[in-house]
Amino acid sequence: MTRTATALRAALVAAALAPLAPAARADTLAFDMSGKIYTKYMYQNDNTQGCLSLSNPFWVDNIGGHNGACTEFELNIKANVGPRVTAGVRLQSRWGALWQDWWENGDLKPGVADTSGESLGMNHAAYVKLRGAYIRVAPPIPTVKWVTIGSTDYSMWNEWTIGKARYIDRENGSGVFVEGEVLPRKTLTYTVGAMALPKLWAGPGWQTGLRDNDPLASLYGTDWAFAAKVEGRLGDDLRLRAVGAWLQDWETDRYSPMLTGQPSSDRGADHSVGLSTRFRGLNGTLDAVFTPAALDVIQVSALVAASSNYVSPAYATNLVSSGQGFSPVLFRTDKAGRAVASNGMAAKLLVELFDPWKAGLSLKAEYFNIGSEYNAVMGSRREADVLLTEGMITGGFTRGGQLPTLNIANEFVDWDEPWFESCIGWHGGTLLAEYARGSLKTSLEYTFIGYNTNKQDRDVATQYPDFLYTHGFTDTTAFTADSDYANVYDRGRDPRSVYTRWQDRRTHLAVLNASYAIPAARGASLAGKVKVVDDRDGRKAGTTADDYRGRSLLGFLALTLQPTAELKTTLGYEYTRWDEKNRNGNQSTGFYDSKTYRHTARAGLSYAFGGALLGYTLEWFRKDLQRDAAGGYYDMKWNVWRAKATVEAAW
Amino acid sequence: MTPSRARLLLVALLAAPAVALAADSPVKGCSPEGGFTFADPAGDDDGPGTYTYPTDAVYKPGSFDVTELQVVPKGGQVEIRVTVKSRIEDPWDSAAWNGNGFSVQMAFVHIDTDHQKGSGVRQGLPGTNVRFAEDEAWDRVVIISPQGPARVNSEIGLKASQWKDRIVVPRVTRAEGRTLVAVVDAASLGGSPKPTWGWQVLMQSNEGFPAKTDLLTRKVNEFEGQHRFGGGTDYDNDPHVIDILVPPGDDPVKKQHEILSKYDKAANDPKPEDLAQVPMVYPCAK
Repeated sequence: MTRTATALRAALVAAALAPLAPAARADTLAFDMSGKIYTKYMYQNDNTQGCLSLSNPFWVDNIGGHNGACTEFELNIKANVGPRVTAGVRLQSRWGALWQDWWENGDLKPGVADTSGESLGMNHAAYVKLRGAYIRVAPPIPTVKWVTIGSTDYSMWNEWTIGKARYIDRENGSGVFVEGEVLPRKTLTYTVGAMALPKLWAGPGWQTGLRDNDPLASLYGTDWAFAAKVEGRLGDDLRLRAVGAWLQDWETDRYSPMLTGQPSSDRGADHSVGLSTRFRGLNGTLDAVFTPAALDVIQVSALVAASSNYVSPAYATNLVSSGQGFSPVLFRTDKAGRAVASNGMAAKLLVELFDPWKAGLSLKAEYFNIGSEYNAVMGSRREADVLLTEGMITGGFTRGGQLPTLNIANEFVDWDEPWFESCIGWHGGTLLAEYARGSLKTSLEYTFIGYNTNKQDRDVATQYPDFLYTHGFTDTTAFTADSDYANVYDRGRDPRSVYTRWQDRRTHLAVLNASYAIPAARGASLAGKVKVVDDRDGRKAGTTADDYRGRSLLGFLALTLQPTAELKTTLGYEYTRWDEKNRNGNQSTGFYDSKTYRHTARAGLSYAFGGALLGYTLEWFRKDLQRDAAGGYYDMKWNVWRAKATVEAAW
Repeated sequence: MTPSRARLLLVALLAAPAVALAADSPVKGCSPEGGFTFADPAGDDDGPGTYTYPTDAVYKPGSFDVTELQVVPKGGQVEIRVTVKSRIEDPWDSAAWNGNGFSVQMAFVHIDTDHQKGSGVRQGLPGTNVRFAEDEAWDRVVIISPQGPARVNSEIGLKASQWKDRIVVPRVTRAEGRTLVAVVDAASLGGSPKPTWGWQVLMQSNEGFPAKTDLLTRKVNEFEGQHRFGGGTDYDNDPHVIDILVPPGDDPVKKQHEILSKYDKAANDPKPEDLAQVPMVYPCAK
């Protein structure tokens, strides 16, 4: 390291420590600092600008768009303050500043004609923000190993209760956590925590009390989630885990005397206000993993889960009725019209045989039964997968998974990232055979999905959110966050859509995957995939005129070459055909067919050199959506070129 | 066939391989081509006996607990299979970083092809903090990493370039159930395996953002953290390996603990002789 660099690093350390002085001493051996620079360049043949494919166009300083270059910087500092105390912070620049935003300082002037170029807001100013801070203490309390105060990613629970935060939110959550061990060698351990609820997304209307979003609510500082986990082992073969979570969104009791009139004691006013529940979510799971030592080729995993979600209509606007059916929670009522909790159960059982005959053949079978109203409001929103099946949302280039929540979040990602779909109500099974020997690896999956959500005349007007777009294969390739945010370009079912008024649905799915390492060339491999889906929904009983039938065929092939030790290149092609009867329409106007043909080609490379990582992906896709003119629908075509390049260095 | 007979047959079919491995010797199936299976006890994924897993939920119990090393020569290739106690998963979506279908584990498979003094490398790879005996120095090491070959090769060039001709990045790396699989060309090992060869597996965890002294390895600290092993020291004197193979005989768990405990705990700036010395295992040598 040069003297200048050393001096710079020392200055950075000193600057970072300054606010902590004198408690933190300059013990550099106990001081761990790491940094990372990440730069991304995007291109697409459209008229958007930004460095994020899918954002949220509601914001005036929206950062989404397809043309531009952006950089972010991250600095992590961790320290052993003492033998039993550690602390850490993460400082990160805000994403969204284009390289072209030379002078942007965040000086947003809404409604003012501003020619200064300083008019896009702080989202484009690349300011450095405190994204996480924690102190971790190992107190001399029996059974207690650690107490953590501050930021975490909530990864200590699970996808069915409180899930790991999205990577972009990884240290936005804060709370107090106690981890302990009752019996040694992790025979019996526990974790309890109290976590601040995020004011956005974790509740009705995707918020916990923002007056501008929901006029019935305005208090979010009192909202918490509480959770507990107990894990234990019964011998070496059986592991058990129980997780419980309680989400509590409080609002000020609107009838508190202090808020409704003179602060007179005669009225009962006492300069205090009461709290009333806006939302309460309860989730619990019990899961077990059985790995018999005497028969170590087998593993059995089982999980049962329950959820209960209550929404008070006195404090939460009903977005099922007032938001076109876009809501992460149900608004259930009893026959008298009173608000009641939405309750659901779920279970799954997975049996795996790991190459039992030593012939390269492994088998897996999973049964899943997820209740029609199971909902993990704060479960994982993406970047996790609770079922064995590929599900419907994955493609050739597109990866993904299934999650038991209506709160799926596929936004704030780029076009080459995985997609996730809700599996609420899924009831069925998966059989998966995997064969791997030498350079060849193949797998064959068959899945049947029935639906606990099948019901006639379901109340999607006031109780069950349908997310407006309930049918049609979801086109993850063609999603954009600009004018298509409202699905004006007919991209199919919303991945969160679980309920529809008339449903009698079943789905068959088969997938063949194969990859082969080509012996003759270094690092060369060939990968292929064929996927077939048959999705049927009889919709309204007693009539066949509305029956939906979607048949999907996907073929995928990719060749990977490694010209040098540090350079990897890939060339791939994907063909998708969707033949859908009665895809679009409604019961009053009738339903109309559509066909979709999509060709996607990608070329990519990754290069690692001296600690720097470079990646580049170029994609072209052509999509033909043919719709029935008799229903007033017109055809659409896509001819899209787009590229994404990344460079990152961490130290 | 009655249901009970069918069940018995199924159990027998499934149990056959397990029963075969349950005999006394950890070594099975030595072949003239150098193939073998070597069992390692479960429950010794604690390094010198004190190590604990990181606290993040992705580090599932048994994830670093090696239970078996299998070497299968076939034609001009060799399949190296390292099995652990837990199903191998991919929680960090390795496809997003050109990875190999798993995320958390990483294994270094060391090979001593001549068992001679003065030959091979005594130092461990950067970040493992171990050394080898003079007559058991490694001649080749196969890196079974979830990172793609471009990244692994880049790290080798950056941190272990002096040994780049001895470090083998597999032609194929994948996970199958509980097993990490590497397929390498026999030529890259210096030829087809021989029964006289020595082997050692150092079980580690993949760290995508390693320290500049570590070859994609995860550190062991005094106290465990969300992504740090605990039970060691905050310096680089303790062995940063969670499980190893030990030669047959005696109590293998106790022996592993003894081997990995022999480092200078006071050495804040350790020299090679301060580090724990791990043995090679010669499963099929006579």
